[in-house]
Amino acid sequence: MFNKNTYILTALAVGLSVVACTKEETLTPGTDGQTGDGSKERFVIAALPIGSTGVADYLLTADTLSKGTVSTKGSGIEQDGTYRYYITHKNRFFSLLYGQGNPGAVTTYTLNAAGKLEKVSDFQAETVQVFTTVQDDILTVKVPRSGNESASFYRINADQSKVVGEAQVNIVKLAGNGERAHFTWATQVGDKVFAPYMSIKGVSPDVFGTSYPDSAWVAVLSYPGLQVEKVIKDNRTSFIGRYFIDGLAVDEQKDIYAFSSAVATNSGKATSTKPSAITRIKAGTTEFDKSYYFDVEKASGGYNLTTQLYVGNGNVILTMTSASEKGAYAVGKRLAIVNVYNQTFKWVDGWPAATEINTVAARSNYTPLDGKNGYLGVTLTDGTSYIYQVDATTAKATRGLKIDGGSIQGINRLTYKATQ
Amino acid sequence: MPIVQQRVLLFFGVFLAFYVFSFAQPGNKFSISGTIQASSGETIPGASVVIESLKKSTITDEKGRFTLTEIPTGEHQVQVRSVGFKEQVKTVRVRQNTRFSLALEQDDIQLTEVSVIGRSDAKEVARQAFNVTAVDASKLHNSTLDLSHALDRVSGVRVRESGGVGSNFNFSLNGFTGRQVKFFIDGVPMDNFGSSFQLNNIPINLAERVDVYKGVVPIWLGSDALGGAVNIVTGNKQRNYLDASYSYGSFNTHRSAVNAGITTKSGFTVQLNAFQNYSDNNYWVTVDVADINTGEYFRNQRVRRFHDTYRNETLVANVGVVGKKYADKLLFGITLGQNRAEIQTGARMVSVFGQWYRRGNIVMPSFRYQKENLFVKGLNVRLTGNFNLGQEQNVDTVYRRYNWFQQFKEYPGKGSERERSLYKFRNNNGLITANASYQISGKQSISVNNVFNTFNRQGFDELNPANQNYEQPRVNTKNILGVGYKYDYDDRWNTSLFVKHFSQHNKYGITYNPSGNFGDVAYMTQKNSFSQLGYGIATSYFLQKNLQLKASYEKSYRLPETDELYGDLLNLEGNINLKPETSFNYNVGFSYLTNLTKQHRFTFAANALYRDARGFIRPRLNNNQTKQVMDNLADVTNLGFDGEIRYSFKRMLTTGVNLTYQNLRNNTRFEDGITAQSPLYRDRIPNMPFLFGNADASVFLRNVGGAGNTLTFGYNLLYVHAYYLYWPSLGQSKLDIPQQLAHDANVVYALANGKYNIGLECKNLLDARLYDNFSLQKPSRGFYLKLRYFVGK
Repeated sequence: MFNKNTYILTALAVGLSVVACTKEETLTPGTDGQTGDGSKERFVIAALPIGSTGVADYLLTADTLSKGTVSTKGSGIEQDGTYRYYITHKNRFFSLLYGQGNPGAVTTYTLNAAGKLEKVSDFQAETVQVFTTVQDDILTVKVPRSGNESASFYRINADQSKVVGEAQVNIVKLAGNGERAHFTWATQVGDKVFAPYMSIKGVSPDVFGTSYPDSAWVAVLSYPGLQVEKVIKDNRTSFIGRYFIDGLAVDEQKDIYAFSSAVATNSGKATSTKPSAITRIKAGTTEFDKSYYFDVEKASGGYNLTTQLYVGNGNVILTMTSASEKGAYAVGKRLAIVNVYNQTFKWVDGWPAATEINTVAARSNYTPLDGKNGYLGVTLTDGTSYIYQVDATTAKATRGLKIDGGSIQGINRLTYKATQ
Repeated sequence: MPIVQQRVLLFFGVFLAFYVFSFAQPGNKFSISGTIQASSGETIPGASVVIESLKKSTITDEKGRFTLTEIPTGEHQVQVRSVGFKEQVKTVRVRQNTRFSLALEQDDIQLTEVSVIGRSDAKEVARQAFNVTAVDASKLHNSTLDLSHALDRVSGVRVRESGGVGSNFNFSLNGFTGRQVKFFIDGVPMDNFGSSFQLNNIPINLAERVDVYKGVVPIWLGSDALGGAVNIVTGNKQRNYLDASYSYGSFNTHRSAVNAGITTKSGFTVQLNAFQNYSDNNYWVTVDVADINTGEYFRNQRVRRFHDTYRNETLVANVGVVGKKYADKLLFGITLGQNRAEIQTGARMVSVFGQWYRRGNIVMPSFRYQKENLFVKGLNVRLTGNFNLGQEQNVDTVYRRYNWFQQFKEYPGKGSERERSLYKFRNNNGLITANASYQISGKQSISVNNVFNTFNRQGFDELNPANQNYEQPRVNTKNILGVGYKYDYDDRWNTSLFVKHFSQHNKYGITYNPSGNFGDVAYMTQKNSFSQLGYGIATSYFLQKNLQLKASYEKSYRLPETDELYGDLLNLEGNINLKPETSFNYNVGFSYLTNLTKQHRFTFAANALYRDARGFIRPRLNNNQTKQVMDNLADVTNLGFDGEIRYSFKRMLTTGVNLTYQNLRNNTRFEDGITAQSPLYRDRIPNMPFLFGNADASVFLRNVGGAGNTLTFGYNLLYVHAYYLYWPSLGQSKLDIPQQLAHDANVVYALANGKYNIGLECKNLLDARLYDNFSLQKPSRGFYLKLRYFVGK
């Protein structure tokens, strides 16, 4: 069951990715703000009002994700614009920016003794397309889609709130096929960083098109040096992850599961001939496990996965699109549970019908990694947003916290010691 | 008074025709010449001198002089009229060339000209039924303002700039911004002029007058303006003139302008406008400076901007004839210009750049033809055309990261500061405008106006020659046809009705991969088009001679721009399903003039307006958040008020204050894909100034240090209320753009009746930290000296 060492805040925070353990901490989630060690927990929800102009994210806090209501109306800490991304590491909450290529300020918050968010620092950082936790750092990657030939990796020390290292990776050389290696995400695996990428042309107007739709690549980088040591390739699936979407999950045995949506395009047309599937890289190896292959498209009867949330015990919550909904950037409105060990597939009950859903949060959803629960943000077509608690063991979803006046951009958990 | 004058001008046109046709008449003819002055002694420019029985008329020049020729022997009744003066009739006996002078008494009962400098065109414009504000630019010729700053003093207008000289600016008129407001120069749309000939670099001296039409735009300014238009009226009324100026000031700012014109007796004319701006824009700012390696901030550092040099040089030359039988004006011209602007920051001051710049040029041949009474009396035509061959380029090829301490890190390989680019493009814009008006009777006139635009973008990036394969034709044509009818019932009441037809045809190529194999690219051509009908009415009524009421209404459209339809190949994705933006514009207003005593004059003007705008084209992020795409997303209403009070004391002091309030509300009830009412419905539109105003005062000391010399002390205050960056109803701790109070002061010494002028200006007198845009500081205090020489006859 649980390996205590896997209870790591980093993974909790990233939500979508499971990385190796860095810190020992016990907690019992969803107990109305109480944790085992006497400190209290609180969730930070970033909400974005739906509007066409002048919108900013607001940070709201709640003691529990399973009930109640929070609202952006007259409350919440205003962020400078939207297209911001959120991650928690070392019990610090980071508000990162996607600055359309510009550098800008990143703000760090903690909870004070009253359980309120308090700004502790801000510092300058670059636009990110990838953000994850690695050891004591937050690792961000700026991946140019055209023009610049190097991706920039930045190591931000979570305690110091500053950049402590950076490295450049020439992505044209890395791709080696005339296109560019566009990192979809990065995940700490032991003392390495595994960064899957998609091959893209990087030429307008078909920047994200590719002539190589049927291969998966994962770059293995050293840490903290961030040198590419190896590229792992597999031709059984299309690329792993998607633009700005995490496609790797590390389980309690340190095995790595790789998720492919099979959504490569060329001039706007879907060109992947491989099915949407899950493959594996066994712990301690840097090769795909040829003996493991889970055809999710077949198991689901023709649907493909879009995002994944690993909750432990081999259970993964997947968002799914039908063949007609399938698209390079579509986030599925249908929810399913797979178990990667016994390759079972179940649709989730209690989840709103696809026709009632406006959007499903694509990243920064939350799991306590209890092998059971995941918390996903969804905005319904009537404009209300909810966090649904999804039980992977029973494949049942339950409506929880309501967010008034905003779609959910991120769910993060912080703890604090109350004064009294 | 002006209404009379208007009609006189009308007759004047008719008489001019007679004059032309009667040119060859034989007999003993003499001339009458002379000077018209006020009883106080100053000469009166622009006064009309008429001999009704002979259908002869003229107006006085800037020194009050006039000449009437071809006068037969005999006694003639000469009528002299001017704004603010009592009309006089003088009987003149002509047996030889005759001279006489006349002094007019000031008329305090009639509507009078408040402006101290005796030009009346600006006030004349204000009397139209349209909601229009005219800026008498000639009064500002001794200042170092460019046009955008002069316009910033007009009620309802807010010009938000991102930096110093030549910086990007956002012009907003009653809440409409960007391409929703159209700019014209002498009635010709400026849409296609590129960055080298724009409001932020055109010196005020180029303009005689600037008219700001709020909401309802007369048809002779034919364009798809959604929320109003600005028409820059150039052209010196004098036949021969030279206006040369040079200014130097803080931040190594040099500006010069030369406007000159010669018209020979035979009607051959040459006009030249040349101007130049240069500034380092290295003004002081207070910022958090990031450590170049760690990103940690050094707080509140006072540093100079270091990569913000702007320069432009522009020349407008026209050659042609005036006053010919076949043409009142036939001019062929060319506009040549170039500019280069370094880019210091991104949208926030924490994004700092040290190498990136953009540049552009303009090469625009043009022609203009104007004729009154063509073929028949009362038929006036105007035809203009131009084609811009200029191009624009964005240069970002240096792989560095800078901070405010001017430190940088350089990386190996091909990179950039923001988006690696040498993309160069040419829009190949062509424009033809045609206008004809016909006076059916004394009371009725009709006019037809047509504006035709072509666009064919061609771009190339030498860094990315492969893009060429994907660069497909993006061609469009736009045509706006307007028909108007004007009925002048009497001096008190007139009404205009108009209909505009907007149409646009777009043709563009898209690429696709027919086989799915590497490098296989095929093209498809797609076409679409729109056509829409807009209409409006404007009416004006004088309740009393000094109390005017106005009302106007228009249903207007703005057609999508080519960028919005096709994208820009960089950050903007095309959306060919865009529809035109539309707005229902309503205005009501009054103006009232009164005198406490002969010396104290007041004017009051107030306007109320309502805008109901739908389908605003706004950017949203495309699905993968990699590019923006334009969509018809927002509906907005605006209930606005603006008012102005002016006071003058004799000819010594003039002062005024104006205030604008606009209640811009989000009228988008349902957001895309959402069935319930948006929580932002009826919330105030964020990041848009809603209360702002100007105050100004000038004191004129005459005959200081010699007769004909004037010393002027001027002061201007700009006030902008603080406003939120994001939606007001949301969140607790909010970001805002703080209140702005900017004080500017100037001293102008004009010698020899304005022949030599020395101006000294201080902008941002109190060195306040001013922001128009969140976190982007405007220039710190600066001093500027301007020398100007002007002669004309």
